[in-house]
Amino acid sequence: MSLELKTHNEETVIVRIGKALDFRNASDFKAQCQEQVQEGARNFILDFSDTGILDSTGLGSIFSLYRQVSPLNGQVVFASVSRPVQVVVQLTRTYKVFRQFPSVEAAQDTLA
Amino acid sequence: MAENSILIVEDERTLRRLLEYRLGKTYQVRTAANGEEALDRVHEEAPDLIVSDIMMPKMDGFALQDALSQEKATRAIPFIFLTAKADETSKQRGMRTGVDDYITKPFDIDQLLSRIDRLLERANVYQSQLDAKLGQDFSERLMPKRMPEEPGYHATFYNKPREYGGGDIFDWKRAGDDYFFTLGDVMGKGLQAKFYAFSFLGYVRSSLKAMMESTRSPAKLMQKINQVLVEDEVMENTFASLLLIRWNPKRHELTYANAGHCRPVLVTDNGPELITYSDMILGLKGDTEYQDSTLTIPPGAAFMAYTDGLMEQQTPDGTMLGEEGVMTCTEHLHTADAPIDELLQRVLDASHNDIFDDDILVFWLQRNA
Repeated sequence: MSLELKTHNEETVIVRIGKALDFRNASDFKAQCQEQVQEGARNFILDFSDTGILDSTGLGSIFSLYRQVSPLNGQVVFASVSRPVQVVVQLTRTYKVFRQFPSVEAAQDTLA
Repeated sequence: MAENSILIVEDERTLRRLLEYRLGKTYQVRTAANGEEALDRVHEEAPDLIVSDIMMPKMDGFALQDALSQEKATRAIPFIFLTAKADETSKQRGMRTGVDDYITKPFDIDQLLSRIDRLLERANVYQSQLDAKLGQDFSERLMPKRMPEEPGYHATFYNKPREYGGGDIFDWKRAGDDYFFTLGDVMGKGLQAKFYAFSFLGYVRSSLKAMMESTRSPAKLMQKINQVLVEDEVMENTFASLLLIRWNPKRHELTYANAGHCRPVLVTDNGPELITYSDMILGLKGDTEYQDSTLTIPPGAAFMAYTDGLMEQQTPDGTMLGEEGVMTCTEHLHTADAPIDELLQRVLDASHNDIFDDDILVFWLQRNA
């Protein structure tokens, strides 16, 4: 599965989700993000530009990450949200928690 | 499936290396030079299978097998003896101690591989049968045995859990003139989701019972359930979408709160109507506020609620059926004799497959014309 993590600065990590975040790679996503949190990351920018599938297990792993960083005053934000991801976010009403940005750059500017 | 792990216990270095190399092509391999080391490895992480020599310094193969069989956690690990002791006595002793197979040196590596394969397959089949059985048992307990019976109404539901489906829940409870329906989906897949769904339903039931004395507001109940979910350590990282519906058949009224669940549909002569209000999914934010909304069921109309398995069913063009797709499939079904059967058939007709990919749960509340 093609998860790609990139450190933007000490506190902020950009995760390129790739084609899918679902039951197949959700635990991988969880483990990799956890590692980043242990190393001091607080903010996560999730790049959904190519994402066609986000199932409930995948979404659950994002929620876990949110639960993990919010006590540390961290944020999880969504960038370049694709249509299928938007549908899931609308349905679960989670846009109230995950701020959305048109691009990774826009998210970086706000979090900086 | 995850790669199977094998522990090789062999004091002779060359043979240990050879086995590590050959078995390492197919399995995740760890090694130990004697029984004592092997016990340490097993306690770090239990392997799926052990291949062990008999004659070794410190602790021999018999002693190792004996030590493993003393512990519940390690007793069932498949065990193959690999040894130069071709004599009958050792062989019989080996078999008596409960090893699963016995191969004498010099041995053929392909023969060893095929025996390993067979033993692992047996263990895996056993495990998945057990999972399926447990899953089935959980699923049955997550659904009611019967439905409310009220004059002028027909309440039905359909549930078809899949072995690797998720944690759909459905429940109802009567309170005076009102009925409370609980319909939801605990996130995740497989047995784990079903287990969480089972615990979650327990929470919901006890919260409802405890709070019904003081409030009949689905929104207030929802708020409480959300708090419990966020604050409770056992339920940490459990997320669920949930519909709490209070139904008063005398007033033909439905009052509901929606925590990020698929939005229900009201099917009338004017076509399907989406019941739009909804709020955030449970388990994410403890201070989320929920609202009650009320609607009246007109004569002859039907109220339909469901879980995401229906919506996520894939269409031939590779997209999901979606909310609109499900709504379209409900058209005119308020006059159908078997509305749920008809609905499922329409969904399948619109889909790429002639079976459902995920759990299916549909609740249909029909008011007579």
